[in-house]
Amino acid sequence: MGDRDEEALVRTLTGAARSAPEPVEDLVVTIGRRRRRRRRVRAQSVLAVAGMVAVVGGMAVVRDTLPNRGGEGVSMTQAAPSGDAAEETGQPFQNGPGGVGGTEKPARIDVRPAEEVWPAAVSTIPVRAADGYRYRPVTGLSATKLLLSAESSFEKAGRLEVYDTADRSSTVLTTMPDTGVKGYFAGRFEVGSDYVAWWGGTPNDPDEWADFWVVPRSGGVARRVGEVTGDLSKVTRLAVTSDFLLWSVSGGGVYRMPLGGGTPERLGGTDGLHLLSWPLAVDVGDGEGDGGRRNQTRMVDLETGRTTEVSVPEGGDGFRCGPVWCFGQRGDAMVVQRPDGSDRRLLPGFGAGRGVVDRFGVMRAPFSEEPDAYVPLLTVYDAATGLAAGISRSRGGGSYGMGISSSPSSIIYWDAGKRSVEECEKVDARRLPRPSGAAVPTGEVTECTGREVGGGKEFTVVNLLAVPSTK
Amino acid sequence: MEFTDFVAARGRALYRYGYVLTGNAEDAADLTQEALMRLGDAWPRVRKREDPEGYVRTTMARLHISVWRRLHRERLVATVPEAAYTDDRLGDDVGLWNELKRLPPKQRAVLVLRYYEDLSDQEIADLLGVSRGTVRSQAARALDKLRIRAAALEGERV
Repeated sequence: MGDRDEEALVRTLTGAARSAPEPVEDLVVTIGRRRRRRRRVRAQSVLAVAGMVAVVGGMAVVRDTLPNRGGEGVSMTQAAPSGDAAEETGQPFQNGPGGVGGTEKPARIDVRPAEEVWPAAVSTIPVRAADGYRYRPVTGLSATKLLLSAESSFEKAGRLEVYDTADRSSTVLTTMPDTGVKGYFAGRFEVGSDYVAWWGGTPNDPDEWADFWVVPRSGGVARRVGEVTGDLSKVTRLAVTSDFLLWSVSGGGVYRMPLGGGTPERLGGTDGLHLLSWPLAVDVGDGEGDGGRRNQTRMVDLETGRTTEVSVPEGGDGFRCGPVWCFGQRGDAMVVQRPDGSDRRLLPGFGAGRGVVDRFGVMRAPFSEEPDAYVPLLTVYDAATGLAAGISRSRGGGSYGMGISSSPSSIIYWDAGKRSVEECEKVDARRLPRPSGAAVPTGEVTECTGREVGGGKEFTVVNLLAVPSTK
Repeated sequence: MEFTDFVAARGRALYRYGYVLTGNAEDAADLTQEALMRLGDAWPRVRKREDPEGYVRTTMARLHISVWRRLHRERLVATVPEAAYTDDRLGDDVGLWNELKRLPPKQRAVLVLRYYEDLSDQEIADLLGVSRGTVRSQAARALDKLRIRAAALEGERV
């Protein structure tokens, strides 16, 4: 009947997709603007659930900081800041490892895959346990041991396991208790020197309620420490010492409760402060401050009461500090410095900070137009060595996750088996849409379309606790 | 992966999908934006299922055929000046592309899902929330309008 075949339809649709005129506005910019606008309107209601958003956002990346305490003899923390920092005003950007000599001649920072840069820190773990439970990395316990949450269904933690990357085996630390509470989800986990702690609640319920649990690091049966209601239940982060369980709440403020249970007590002088990683608290919480752009200006050691002011360079954006290093955006470069502004260096082309994990800054790598260039989805920059390691790959659309510990997790992981099947073709650059009045380009460019396939077998895991602190 | 990374990595591909669904750049941008806004809201949940792309594509297809889209389209349809370079690159297929653009939204959605997204009729039915029979009749009607031989393939579709 017809005079065309289905092939023509496939060809026409694919051809039309490839030759679609350039959208008038950049999607990233437009979506960012629309979301910011709406976020302002919604700020009030979002705050109400902020505490448990962190729970549901297990793989979410937070713009924030810190070390992982309680590792087995492996410390991620470098020497304390020198304290006699040069005055920042008029100070040229200093040379640093992998950094640049001044702002005018930025050095090129070589980003290679993490597997090549830190082979000892990269391992693979199964996506699922033998019984089908799905693993979600929490954080590193040491250079070779990883804490994993094994989930029976979507975000329902069934047990905690310790995975040994050396002998590729897993042992159960504890089975998650059945609280009998409908809609109950465990929140983030925190590894202390003696205990692993977590909080839980009913995020999809209007009830303002949370409870706290601990289990010895050596394993055993989990014990409920206590429960809280109202504003105290809007937990944003957790810490656990030998005697206390501490948490910060949405909007700021740090509370503690004895491990044996008892009445919650607010720590004095913690107004507006959020736990980062014990004993540090900072003045910007997760998701607070203009979509993470607000600078962190203050760090408080809750054990000693010592306050450190952060010296943010003029024009700095989204500065976040760990105990020793800060990372932030300035123009089209990432700035690395100590809190007092010393040892400052620029990473040109890097940006969009995704968090600070002790001495490591997690950020986006510069984009490359070269079709064969290695462009990771994320870069981890080690302020101590100046080495930059790539996570996953951006070409073909990868994805990554960060561990779901309360303190910034030492684990970044991705599914390397998941690939985007790409169909690429060389097209004459002249045929591409271009702004009116723009010069006619020459040569050929590659255009690709793709979709995700495969994966689901193994996660590639970078454990920052296993990254050598010298080159 | 953060939402912005996803938009940066997949935005263009999604927009192109929007373009074949809607047939014009303005609607495509609109549709892509709206679906991405919804993805942004649902991001913590969707990312966990690890198929945000599928989520957006489904949202786009549904939005496209929804009443909201149709009303919206009618408002926009009068102002579609673009064409030149698309037509230029399509060569002999430009006539078919123009006819596709004139199909009702649901019929075109079915064709796009079948021939661009390469989905089975059952998948299309699930995605659009209609029966497989409806998918087939919509497809048949559309193919007939476009004077396309559906060959033996039709009988083999799952």
